[in-house]
Amino acid sequence: MSKVVRQIGFDEGAYIAREKEDVVVGNEIVRHRLSSRVIHWSVAVTFFACLVTGLPVWTPVFGWMATLVGGLSVARVVHAWFGLAFALASLVMAVHWWSEMEMTKEERGWIGPKLVEYLNDAANHDRIGKYNGGQKVYFHTSGLGALGLLVSGIVMWWPMSFPQWARETALILHNVSFILFAVSLVFHIYLATVAEPGTFNSMTRGTVSKAWARIHHPKWYRELMGLEK
Amino acid sequence: MSVQNLEIRRSSASLWGGATGMRSLPDVSKYVDTSTCIGCKACEVACQEWNDLAPVETHQVGTYQTLPTLDAGFWNLIRFDEREVDGGLKWLMRKDQCMHCAEPGCLEACPAPGAIVQYANGIVDVNPDNCIGCGYCETGCPFDVPRFSAKTGKMAKCTLCVDRVSVGLEPACIKACPTGCLHFGTKEDMVALGNARVAQLKASGFPQAALYDPKGVGGTGVVTVLGFGDHPEWYGLAASPRVPLSVKFWKKWLRPIGFLAILGAIVGAFGHHLYHGNKGFIDPGPPGPDETKG
Repeated sequence: MSKVVRQIGFDEGAYIAREKEDVVVGNEIVRHRLSSRVIHWSVAVTFFACLVTGLPVWTPVFGWMATLVGGLSVARVVHAWFGLAFALASLVMAVHWWSEMEMTKEERGWIGPKLVEYLNDAANHDRIGKYNGGQKVYFHTSGLGALGLLVSGIVMWWPMSFPQWARETALILHNVSFILFAVSLVFHIYLATVAEPGTFNSMTRGTVSKAWARIHHPKWYRELMGLEK
Repeated sequence: MSVQNLEIRRSSASLWGGATGMRSLPDVSKYVDTSTCIGCKACEVACQEWNDLAPVETHQVGTYQTLPTLDAGFWNLIRFDEREVDGGLKWLMRKDQCMHCAEPGCLEACPAPGAIVQYANGIVDVNPDNCIGCGYCETGCPFDVPRFSAKTGKMAKCTLCVDRVSVGLEPACIKACPTGCLHFGTKEDMVALGNARVAQLKASGFPQAALYDPKGVGGTGVVTVLGFGDHPEWYGLAASPRVPLSVKFWKKWLRPIGFLAILGAIVGAFGHHLYHGNKGFIDPGPPGPDETKG
């Protein structure tokens, strides 16, 4: 790994990003190694599989989506299995990123006014490390959401095995978890794509530019460049 | 009863049913008199026969009751209950089945368009073609009636013999009853019959007699004369059944709010981009002196 054989067309950044992250490679920085990206996309793909099969059951407005999997009764059955896969992927993701997502007291402020500041381009980024408070909040809320969806989903998978109060609670919990998850997911996707050019690359090729790191995660940048210990 | 048409008044997961209102049909109802039921179970057999339901395996559980509860293959169950009242033993029997609520919780909870329908005459029916077997109807039902069949993957319950009623016949259970404790007709007639019977019972030593036609679900398509009308729970009936608040809250509030919230987030994100443009679009300039070392 340390000795990279260079030849014409060799993509050193992507090569390094297979196994390592938080490494400077030329003008780039590896932000997410291959395993991180695979885990992220496992969660994303299984979530969208759940979305396509769950929305037509949620409301007939999205009934047309059921056609994609062969009808509402098929959607209902495969939704549960996709849900299980989503829960497993989320669990792996939670374990994978847990240590990096510990929140400081300051970062808890992102649940409220800090988030608004950030969206208004008024936040001071200087102390932001690899992940900002908003990303950490999203990590935890989506994890909680996945847990809520899993617990209520199990009850809804075999409703007849559970008492009435559990079934009613599950209906509400599945709805509330989904709504919160979906709303935050909209912002997650927005901020990771059109809102911040260069970010999406960190989840595909695994790398970001140095300029991107300086703008959005200056503390992380300084650490990697050996400017701050 | 005259021949009935099968116009649909209400349909699950649909904004409206298909009733044109061209013919106005009176609501139909069964009449069940618990005070003259002798527990012969002829109605149970008639139901199995007419609906071609396979026999369900039974076990002796120390009561005359055929099964502990309703089943996907057993839609009509006489419940037997023993109560000590004023030092004497009362043997209570009630025909348990779908109550055909005017405001059916099953229909409200059902997510599959057209899987549960309410016909213009008030009969609530499951359409197996559209049923996806999710079991939400069981959560929505205040009477614990719909049952999931593992064999068919669908929900099943009493149809009020809609196939018989629609051609002018009375339901199979009514046809089979030997004591006349079961009747079938318009809701109005059955309520009148029930009230007359309640008055009779009141005059003959059952002052607490009452007609069970709970208003919480808009009234039911099965009206039941109870000798002990002050204790419907003795007969396995809820005192004041309602469509669960959770189901109503989910469909009437949570779902539209969630829909708007997600839509709002998308519009909000789009608006944010229109107003702010890219975050970090401006080049931060050359690195400062403390940033160049690396």
